[in-house]
Amino acid sequence: MKKLIKIFSVLLLLVSAVVTGALATGPAATVSAASSKNVKKVASGTVLKKIKKSGKLVVGLSADYPPLEFTKNVNGKNKYVGVDIELSKQIAKDLGVKCEIKNMDFDSLLVALETGKIDVIISGMTPTAERKKSIDFSKIYYAEKNDYFVINKADKGKYKKTSDFKGKTVGAQTGSLQYTVMKKHGLPGMKVKGLAKISSLLMGLKSGKFDGVLLGELNAKTYAMNDSNLALVKSTLKQDQMGNAVGVAKGQKDLVAAINKTIDKCQDKDLFNKKFIPAAAKDMKTATKKSNNSMTKYTSYFVTGLEYTMIITICSVLIGLVLGVIFALMRLSSNKLLHAIAVCYIEFLRGTPEMVQIMFVYFGIGMLVKNLPALVAGIIAIGLNSGAYVAEDIRSGINSVNIGQTEATRSLGLSQAMTYRYVIFPQAFKNIWPALGNEFITLTKDSSLVSTIGVGELMYQTGLVQTATYRGVMPLFITMCIYFVLTFLLTRLLNFLERKMNLSSSRA
Amino acid sequence: MNSIIEVKHLKKNYGDKEVLKDINAEIEKGKVITVIGPSGSGKSTFLRCLNLLEKPTSGQVLFEGTELTDLKSDDLDKLRQKMGMVFQNFNLFPNMNVLENIKLAPMKVKGMADGEATALAHKLLKKVGLDEFADHTPTSLSGGQQQRVAIARALAMKPEVMLFDEPTSALDPEMVGEVLKTIQDLATSGMTMVIVTHEMGFARKVSDEVWFMADGYLQEKGSPDEVFDHPTSDRAKDFLAKILEA
Repeated sequence: MKKLIKIFSVLLLLVSAVVTGALATGPAATVSAASSKNVKKVASGTVLKKIKKSGKLVVGLSADYPPLEFTKNVNGKNKYVGVDIELSKQIAKDLGVKCEIKNMDFDSLLVALETGKIDVIISGMTPTAERKKSIDFSKIYYAEKNDYFVINKADKGKYKKTSDFKGKTVGAQTGSLQYTVMKKHGLPGMKVKGLAKISSLLMGLKSGKFDGVLLGELNAKTYAMNDSNLALVKSTLKQDQMGNAVGVAKGQKDLVAAINKTIDKCQDKDLFNKKFIPAAAKDMKTATKKSNNSMTKYTSYFVTGLEYTMIITICSVLIGLVLGVIFALMRLSSNKLLHAIAVCYIEFLRGTPEMVQIMFVYFGIGMLVKNLPALVAGIIAIGLNSGAYVAEDIRSGINSVNIGQTEATRSLGLSQAMTYRYVIFPQAFKNIWPALGNEFITLTKDSSLVSTIGVGELMYQTGLVQTATYRGVMPLFITMCIYFVLTFLLTRLLNFLERKMNLSSSRA
Repeated sequence: MNSIIEVKHLKKNYGDKEVLKDINAEIEKGKVITVIGPSGSGKSTFLRCLNLLEKPTSGQVLFEGTELTDLKSDDLDKLRQKMGMVFQNFNLFPNMNVLENIKLAPMKVKGMADGEATALAHKLLKKVGLDEFADHTPTSLSGGQQQRVAIARALAMKPEVMLFDEPTSALDPEMVGEVLKTIQDLATSGMTMVIVTHEMGFARKVSDEVWFMADGYLQEKGSPDEVFDHPTSDRAKDFLAKILEA
């Protein structure tokens, strides 16, 4: 019990260290962010010179928004394509330099621009008043004039105008402008359903779950161009679209002027409608061609996904095991405080959804610890969750060992620690093992939940392949098979180890 | 002072139930004591209080003058080495073979070298007549054999007292004899022993003292002849009459 108290005090120290550390880094991070604004801020009129000197324009974007910016698989390699990339190339060309793309989270773009990591942002960014406080914008280079209802071509006769959607179910991307528009100005009786991904919305449309899907003009047109089963109906719902502009660090008048010149030129020639959008559509379409949407071309996606899934699984299993042992011992401890803490932990983590826990760790702890990567957050959350289940597996395994074994061992003069080590654990382990095996398999599958916070594991990659190939079911099927092979092999391995252990004990 | 264990006003409650009410007793060195009495009278609880597998509710247990109930767990572990215990259900360790069962405590507690412990284990196995089973698993042995291994395991710590908790109750009748013989051999060698048993014939033959226990009290103490042939308490008379009828 003394040892348990020691272990516990170490744990407490660790926790308090983490918390104080987090509290310390919280303000510190803010300070450094602030200082980056004041100190490292890009000096006026220097960016254009830097571009000319280095001979390249570094464009920051978040390549997850087709057809503006997305990735294309060329011989297994990622290539950035889309309307914004076409514009970037044009601007670079007019400046007489090469164009370099830096892909990052949309949220990170502003900081990257302010700290000079990128020269411009061309990422479908709307020049909101909030953003204008920290950076400058070019003129609007493209404004979506309209939203469109995407419908099944078979329903073309049924839906001809906006009012035809009265009382119908319409899907939109959660958090998108179109979603807001329908919520605000939707028709009476119109049911608005939100999904996170356009590919899921279109699958829902095809399977009859929605009567229509409201998308912005670009998205709607490119998807319709790529899928002959879809048709478009122009929406007349009120919308307040602002359009997209190029983001530039404050005080770069010369660069803004140069960019505006290129934008003017593109608009004069109507390059967006004549060249950029068709090019983007073609890039999307190449994916939908029979020869190009074969899943073998996307092997690298699945491999990357599998790698992440395995990293998450292995790390979480290790965390879960360590926590599981600690909390099982705490729960079995005669110390009431330790026991209570363990019970609270176990009951709470088993009594709340894992998905919520993952999001809570990512967003909640992310508030304290800046730059907490989603992968780490996911591993922590799944590890914490697993710890609760492992603790119960271990506890029930230990309890399943006859009390007589403890009594016999103690009567020989062995200490409690020795009793556990030489007599209880070796016997409990055989009971714990199958339960642990189950837990590992569950955990492997549960790792798919971290796709919700954007970790590039198998489920997330499946989404990417779905978007890229316009095929909803096939990628899912492949992923299902991969998970099955993974868990099947794991089961075999666990069974093999179990047999080996049983053999060794019966021989002994 | 010749007594190795002294028990003073020992009480043990399980919740509201008083199992041991007020036990006072002394165990002299070299004596063999059998504790008899009806089921549920607290015999086993009493025995398990002697090495503190059960924590007494109140009262004292003294081993060679040392008060056990006050001891820290480290010191208690040391004293337990001097009190070997044999259980009704043998409680051999199924994750070890027979030899390892015996070697565990000498090696881990006393730090005995492997070779020495092995030699000791073989010697003890010979003593209980089971040396040929040294590398068997406990579960492959008969109940009687398992109990003899359990006795050897307890002896490996060279205890000063042996406590037997109904050592033959879980055995098939034909195996009772071999275990009783082993215990009897041990008694002849001068080991101090406390045996809780239902084997009246054996108790009579082997004991220096017989203690009759009922209703949480030690009702009667005396030589086998005194207790079996001339019981004074009604409780003892009643109990013995029933046993003899059967």
